[in-house]
Amino acid sequence: MTVVAAFLVPGSPLPLLKPENPPWGRIAAGYQRAGRALAQARPDTILLYSTQWLAVLDQLWQARPRVAGLHVDDNWYDYGDLPFDLAIDTELTAGCLAASAAAGISAKAVDYDGFPIDSGTITACRFLNGDGRLPFVLTSNNIYHDWAATERLGALAAGVARSAGRRIAVVGVGGLSGAMFREAIDIRDDRVASSADDRWNRRILELLERGDVAGVKAEAPRFAAEARADMGFKHLAFILGALGGRFYGARIHAYGPVYGSGAAVVEFRL
Amino acid sequence: MAQGEIVAGFLAPHPPHLVYGENPAQNEPRSQGGWEPLRWAYERARKSLDELKPDVLLVHSPHWMTHVGHHFLGVRNLSGKSVDPIFPNLFRYTFDLTVDVELAEACCAEAAEAGLVTKMMRNPNFRVDYGTITTLHMIRPQWDIPIVGISANNSPYYLNTKEGLGEMDILGKATRRAIEKTGRRAVLLASNTLCHLHFHEEPATPEDMSQEHPQNYDGYKWDMRIIDLLRRGRTREVFDLLPQFIEEAFAEIKSGAFTWMFAAMGYPEIPGELHGYGTVIGTGNAVMEWNLVKAGLTRGGGVLARAG
Repeated sequence: MTVVAAFLVPGSPLPLLKPENPPWGRIAAGYQRAGRALAQARPDTILLYSTQWLAVLDQLWQARPRVAGLHVDDNWYDYGDLPFDLAIDTELTAGCLAASAAAGISAKAVDYDGFPIDSGTITACRFLNGDGRLPFVLTSNNIYHDWAATERLGALAAGVARSAGRRIAVVGVGGLSGAMFREAIDIRDDRVASSADDRWNRRILELLERGDVAGVKAEAPRFAAEARADMGFKHLAFILGALGGRFYGARIHAYGPVYGSGAAVVEFRL
Repeated sequence: MAQGEIVAGFLAPHPPHLVYGENPAQNEPRSQGGWEPLRWAYERARKSLDELKPDVLLVHSPHWMTHVGHHFLGVRNLSGKSVDPIFPNLFRYTFDLTVDVELAEACCAEAAEAGLVTKMMRNPNFRVDYGTITTLHMIRPQWDIPIVGISANNSPYYLNTKEGLGEMDILGKATRRAIEKTGRRAVLLASNTLCHLHFHEEPATPEDMSQEHPQNYDGYKWDMRIIDLLRRGRTREVFDLLPQFIEEAFAEIKSGAFTWMFAAMGYPEIPGELHGYGTVIGTGNAVMEWNLVKAGLTRGGGVLARAG
């Protein structure tokens, strides 16, 4: 079995930066449970796609053997810094680059000191692999790629892992409903911005819990349009691609608001 | 304290290719040049800026995008390495800049007073975005004038163009009041590209200018129409056309810097000076200047604003 675990997790850094705030603390606790589940699946590598790593020209793959530094979020800088220190599975990454090109997807390696690692990637890496034990394959969200292209990317990455004999955990980093509060709020009272968004999020999570792949794929475009789902919910497309379009259910480790937007920590049953 | 004034505004786009083409010591990658007409346009703009002798440069950048309000750099000294996430092969720049915190705080307070959500950025580890850095490097590579950095609130995208640019108008007018109250002699920099339609692949040699041309003919025609109107001082007409231009040419001025700058200057109906136009990976970029001193619109006490 190549894919031994799969997760959909939020990219907002707020649960990592301020877990003492109860609504965000619940997301953080869910993240920690997902981290334990990931460890128990004993993957060799974590394959991670983040909606917040925006690419425009190509599909970018992080190829630097070790990326370390200090990131400050553009919006949430007053809650603190985001240090990171990540090992990259360069062999698998090289395979993904080659496979992207073979699939007709223009791709490039990123190997630069100081390259900005996005808040979503750092948040997921810190929660799911806090001890830095596992290496990553990190890839970007090309804003011009649609659902199908993103699914293909997930599939080709899993295919490369299969050929290399790797056990991988797949992680799609991104939010649910995208509406955020646009003014200062009392963060202790954070909630999903509207009841319509909340209903949409719960509907999608219910479909995931039931393992209704066809249902969630059918609903995703409307979810994206009506609930401003983060980046068209493409992080799910990446996961589905890697899973060959199959999972049997999901465990929702956490669901709640991050400054009005919807966030969930979801573990897929494979 | 004498009343401050805005002495000029520049449309000052930020493709990192321009810094790459210049080969400054601060940027790691080396080039064989490229995009000369735009870089020479900036050379002309620099001369003009030099004559204006401003106390401060204010820049509004679309690459510091904020969700909750309009943010202002609020740390006196910021330094570090800025790597462009889209063009890391071209832009890995070591920056070290000085912020006019007093003016930034005044802008923040005035904008809040006008009803906008605002915030001061106080984290000393904050990495300044490449749009801000590129515009500032290209207009004043000496880095010897303090700056005010302003984020682009995502309201034009999150709400709609009209509402979003309405916020930028309020922000611009608040910026002017802050400049006047703090006694600064200020230059405004709108860090925006015009037509933003671009190629999806980079040439093997990025500075191979045989590959550089407008990505879209209709977009190019839009740019020329807007520049022509701006050169003739038909500002009101430009702003009437702005929503259509933004929609059809995917113009980056949607992010607000252009509106912010013109609102701060009082939407003067004066001819803008085109220092140069050129494409970068197919996008349209103009370096333009509205010199309020030459136009007789300064009096040592603020811009004679049409739209107060």
